[in-house]
Parts: sequence; structure tokens; C-alpha cells
Amino acid sequence: MTLIPTLIDKQDNVEIIRDKIALVLATESVSQMALAVIAGKPPADWDLRVFTEDSNNFEQFRGSNVADRSPMLNVWFDTETVNSGASNVSKSQKMEGVFNIDCYGLGVSADDSGGGHILGDKQASFEASRAARLVRNILMSAIYVQLELVGVVGDRMIQSLTSFQPELQSQSKEQVRAVRVALKVGFIEEAPQVSEDNLIEEIKIDVKRDSDGRVLAELLFD
Amino acid sequence: MTDLFAIAEKDMAITLERDGRPVVVTNPDGLVAPDLRGDVNDISQVIDPETGTAVSGSTVSVSLRISSLQAVYGNDLPIEIKDETLKPWTVSFTDVNGISQLTKVKESNPDLMSGVLTLILEGYEV
Repeated sequence: MTLIPTLIDKQDNVEIIRDKIALVLATESVSQMALAVIAGKPPADWDLRVFTEDSNNFEQFRGSNVADRSPMLNVWFDTETVNSGASNVSKSQKMEGVFNIDCYGLGVSADDSGGGHILGDKQASFEASRAARLVRNILMSAIYVQLELVGVVGDRMIQSLTSFQPELQSQSKEQVRAVRVALKVGFIEEAPQVSEDNLIEEIKIDVKRDSDGRVLAELLFD
Repeated sequence: MTDLFAIAEKDMAITLERDGRPVVVTNPDGLVAPDLRGDVNDISQVIDPETGTAVSGSTVSVSLRISSLQAVYGNDLPIEIKDETLKPWTVSFTDVNGISQLTKVKESNPDLMSGVLTLILEGYEV
């Protein structure tokens, strides 16, 4: 005999939050590019390519003729722990989740017109730092305290920023560096209840993706 | 007494250079060593020894006979140039499909006893 009479056909809030973080970053990146144009600055410096749960997305940085060299972000769920003292055993649980946003930057060593050369490893680090800077500023903007998921998310806080080298040592043909932004999010998680009266209100998030998995933003500009 | 190292070094004229791939080395001053041959490797997909997992990337290296480099550059062997006001040491070669690859020296690993210099290379654009 089964005791849950309803189909569990929903996303958990942890999944919704992960996708929401990606959507916020993709949307704000496009918005920043538009603002850069107005400010007379090169919009490409605000371009971020956002992916979710894509552990090897910097594969796209490989090869001699990489068309798009803008930084890539991978938003992925890391851990989720329950705050037992603030949770209800029969209805909802107060969770604390950590979502990592890995910011990958590419640098290519090249001649410069001044007679010297550009160091690819340094450029890659600067690119990764620039992406992490944008991520931190966007996510810590006051407007995103609850990530626009009122009633689900209580708060969010940057937990740490850690630089790392995704490739083996520094011996790779392509110079890629990364910064991991760890975002801690406090939220509520719920499960189907015994009584139909207690069924949770369903929240969904639709994320449009390109054929390569890139999260696409939709913005209307005047 | 036979110096096995010296014999091995001379043998590199056959083992490393006769059967090796042509590479063009250029120093920061633009001095070209055009007729060098060496052992070129371009290996994709590298295993991280710490985690055992495959990580994306390719490692390009070339092994050259030190005495052949010294004939052109003296004791000034290729190294990574960190000074951005200078040009780097570059190495170019064609891969097995005939596509030209231009690289710069990222890391220099000389073995002075066996007479081999192994250079780790990274992509370079002009």
C-alpha cells in the first residue's frame, strides 16, 4: 500500500534556485552590455556565457580559433543542509544550500603592437576575475536578496571566492583560469503532504537554453 | 672509459633528429633556427593525478637536442619570457595533417646529462 496519493511532478526548490541564479546572471549580463553601449564602453567586457551543471564547459575554449572568448560561468549545486531547529518534520524544512558559480576565463598569448607580447596566463586570470567581479556584484545587489523567489528564499550571501586552475598545472596549450564564487542561500524545501489540503503551491521556472546549453536571457530594451 | 652519455648524445642525431619532425625555433631577438628536428607531442585530455579524473585540455611539448640549439644560440637556451616588453621564444611546426601550429615556450625542462631539452608550449597568436 502506498501512502502518497499524488504524483511527485515538480522541481525541488534547490533546482529552481540553481536555475534562477543562472537566469539572473544571464539577464543582468545582457542588461549590463546594453548599459555599456549607452556609456560608450565596449559591451563585450560585460558579456558572460552562463551554463548550469556543465562541468567541462571550458572545453569550448579549446582549439586555435576560438570564436567567442567571453568568460563562461557554470552554475552548479554543491551542498544542501537542513536546519533541524527551524524545520517542521511534517511540512517544510529550512535549508541552507551552497551553489557554486565557476567563472572561467581564457587568455591567449599574442604579439602586441608595442613590440612585446601579451601573457596568456595573466590574461586568463584577469578574465576570470572580471567575471567573478560581475557575478558577485550582481548576486549581492540588494534587489536579489531573495533572488526574486519571495516565499522560498530567505536570504543569500556570498560565502567565498576561490581561484583555481581547471586544467592540469599550467602546462596546457590553452590558458584557462577560474574563480569559484560560492553562494549560500537560505530557503524552504517542501514535500508532498498526506492531506490534499496541505499540498504546496507549485513554483516553476522556465529557462531557455541554446543548443549548447547556454542559458539565454530575454530582455526588452526601450 | 666509454662515456655512454656522450654516445647517447651523438645517437640523437638519428633517434631524435633524423626521425623527428621539423620545428622552427625563434628567439626573442628574432633569430631563427630553421632546420631543427625534434619529437613533438600534442596530447589532448589530460588526467589529473590528484583526482584521477580526465580534465579538458591539451599539452604540447617538443624535445630538442641541446647541442643543435647551442649551435645557433650558444648557451642561451629557450625559456619562458615573462617580460611583456620582449618577444617570447616561439616554436612552430606542422601537425600530422599539415596544419601549422605557432606556439610560445611556456616551460623549459633541460636535461643537461642526456642533452635533451623538453619545452612545454602554449598557443601563440601573431
